Amino acid sequence: MTIRHSDRPPTAAAAARRRIPGTGGRTAAIFLVPFFSLFVVAMIAPVVYAIGLSLFAQKRSGLGFGGAETVFVGLENYLNVLSSETFVGGFGRLFLYCLMYIPIMLGLALVFALLLDAIVTKAKRAFQLFLFLPHAVPGVIAALIWAYLYTPGISPIVSTLAAGGIQIDFLSVHMVLPSIVNIAVWEWTGYNVIILFTALQAVPRDILEAARVDGASELRSALSIKTPLILPALSVTLLFTVIGTLQMFTEPQILSKATTAVTSTWVPNMWAYDAAFNRNNLPQAAAASIILALLAGLLSWAVTRLSSKGRTR
Amino acid sequence: MNMRRRLLTGAALITAGALLAGCSANSATTPSEPAANPTGELTFWSAIPGMDLVTEAFNESQDDITVTFEEIPNGPNGGYAKLATAIESGTGPDVAGFEYGQLPQFVGSGSVIALDDLVPAETLDEYSDQVRGLVTFEDATYGMPYDAPPLVTYYRQDVLDAAGVDVPETWDEFEAAARAVRAANPSAYLASYNQNEPAVLAALAWQAGGQWYGIDGDSWKIGIDDKASTKVAEYWQRLIDEDLVKVQPSFSDEWTADLGSGVTNGVIGASWSAAGLKARTEASGQAGKWVAAAPPTWGDDASAFYGGTSFAITKNSENPAAAAKFLEFVTTDPVAIEARGEVGSAYLAYPGLNEIAAGVFPTDYFANDIYAAFDESYDRVVDGWAWGPNWDITNTSLKDSMSTVGAGGTVPDGLTSAQQATVEGLEQLGLTVTE
Repeated sequence: MTIRHSDRPPTAAAAARRRIPGTGGRTAAIFLVPFFSLFVVAMIAPVVYAIGLSLFAQKRSGLGFGGAETVFVGLENYLNVLSSETFVGGFGRLFLYCLMYIPIMLGLALVFALLLDAIVTKAKRAFQLFLFLPHAVPGVIAALIWAYLYTPGISPIVSTLAAGGIQIDFLSVHMVLPSIVNIAVWEWTGYNVIILFTALQAVPRDILEAARVDGASELRSALSIKTPLILPALSVTLLFTVIGTLQMFTEPQILSKATTAVTSTWVPNMWAYDAAFNRNNLPQAAAASIILALLAGLLSWAVTRLSSKGRTR
Repeated sequence: MNMRRRLLTGAALITAGALLAGCSANSATTPSEPAANPTGELTFWSAIPGMDLVTEAFNESQDDITVTFEEIPNGPNGGYAKLATAIESGTGPDVAGFEYGQLPQFVGSGSVIALDDLVPAETLDEYSDQVRGLVTFEDATYGMPYDAPPLVTYYRQDVLDAAGVDVPETWDEFEAAARAVRAANPSAYLASYNQNEPAVLAALAWQAGGQWYGIDGDSWKIGIDDKASTKVAEYWQRLIDEDLVKVQPSFSDEWTADLGSGVTNGVIGASWSAAGLKARTEASGQAGKWVAAAPPTWGDDASAFYGGTSFAITKNSENPAAAAKFLEFVTTDPVAIEARGEVGSAYLAYPGLNEIAAGVFPTDYFANDIYAAFDESYDRVVDGWAWGPNWDITNTSLKDSMSTVGAGGTVPDGLTSAQQATVEGLEQLGLTVTE
């Protein structure tokens, strides 16, 4: 809440300020200006610049040794990006990834959150910490650790499995997607447990007591009372996860050093990175980034809609 | 937090792209007239190990020019991305290293300057025509060749002996040797097929008489899936199909582990591979077990270059005359070769330096005279190969299309799709292309 100036000791400065009408707006401005100036510099300006960039292309002629000129090409870069098999293929991979990752990760998160909520020991905090720990490991480090654990010839897991008669190559073309799902589940489940657990804390205890009086078991009240009551939180984590998936980059980028099954254009973000930094085609990279940003924006809009609905309920 | 963190990453990527592009408006500085005794300070970027020592040796050898060295990541780890963006934004080094395949792209974008007025013609004329051709574009010289690494194959002599075969001299013999090694020890392979390394496929195609990039009047002629290259691709596909080579990425932990444990017993490499091979196998007690040989041939005593670096002066340099002095030192001065020490097994392009290089590198790790093998392969290098205007389009596409080799995809199909991608990619850049 804004502090009213009349509540303060009447100093000269305050007296001077009092003369200006609408101090509420001014106070709001003081708080908002730092945010918006950073937002404009770090978010809006680059996006606008990238949109501008994506409408131009470096064109050379003949053999290309005469230097390049920048020409306006309209939406040609967007068409080139969208007609690129590898770019569209990346979305196919993301879709498959979502199909595997979301049910497993959110399912596990829900189960852990319900278990945490059900136990009444002092170990609750410790369990919370243990579950959250993998998320505290930076994504790059996590991917490096898992790349090591997946690589045949050096991984203790692979050699132990091989000794037990199970030949498995986690980094083969068909296994690498599940392998990345595994990394993500390891990394993000604990985080989502915390969100769902916090939502569970807000479930009114009198409802649970009423259920208990009516003879509902812990399992029954978990499934029929707690879960439906935290559905809004669950749907928000679901959409956050989908948006997060769109931005997938770190794990496959690291794994691409360990296996050729992850190509340099494996997911859309890697496609953009490769266009910018390997193929030196910044306009195409900009176009790909804008397409991704538009999709992420659409999904963010959906998140905001859903989460505000959840709050008013 | 989940979404925010990832959204921010996305925003940061966009920002980075925008910032990089924002700098591209800077114009090139025109090179000044070469001074007789240039002085000043220079910056030098390279991914080649040991170049810090070379820089130090240069600084000690004279008082006029001071060079600051900065090590950058190698190509696959973003070294060229760093160079390209730095040069575009005007913060690039005076001197940098470019592999032969990458140089045309930097020449095309005007990032490096012609050396003909900066380096004495008699120095440039010392290079062989084949090497000189790799740094010459439209009659101007843009790079000082450092090494000219011929294709070289390495084998475990003890494994060949156990299989009862000699070092293969033709690709037919190589196939027979691969079969013999598999028969002698079912867990061992003669060599691996490195699907992550399009440059080696390019070298093998070059050796077979392929011509991936050619100039046909005023247009590029792209022949990645030409007859000779397809022959090479089909050969390797047959070896993969019959499980005679192991499909695995080179320079990976898996590869190192397999070399150490005797699963992979041969390497299709170049002169520079000797240093890496020593580093990867030394801990497994394989000293004295490896031999180097000129690559197997198709019966015509041919070879090719695999990799290799030239040094060039970027358009950011405000002191090209001093930079040219340093270039000459790095690429032609025996002191520079001596100073680099034992970190590399380079086969140098400038005549008369390889004896020094052979003396500096611990060649006794190998069971035979590796520099003799380098010489033999170098003498066989086929004339007339040129690199195209944007190797990275082909490189990315070959890596992508080869990723399924061994799991359904084939090497010849990989060539075909790389051909299409290269033609498309170059046309998108506005270049004239014929197939």
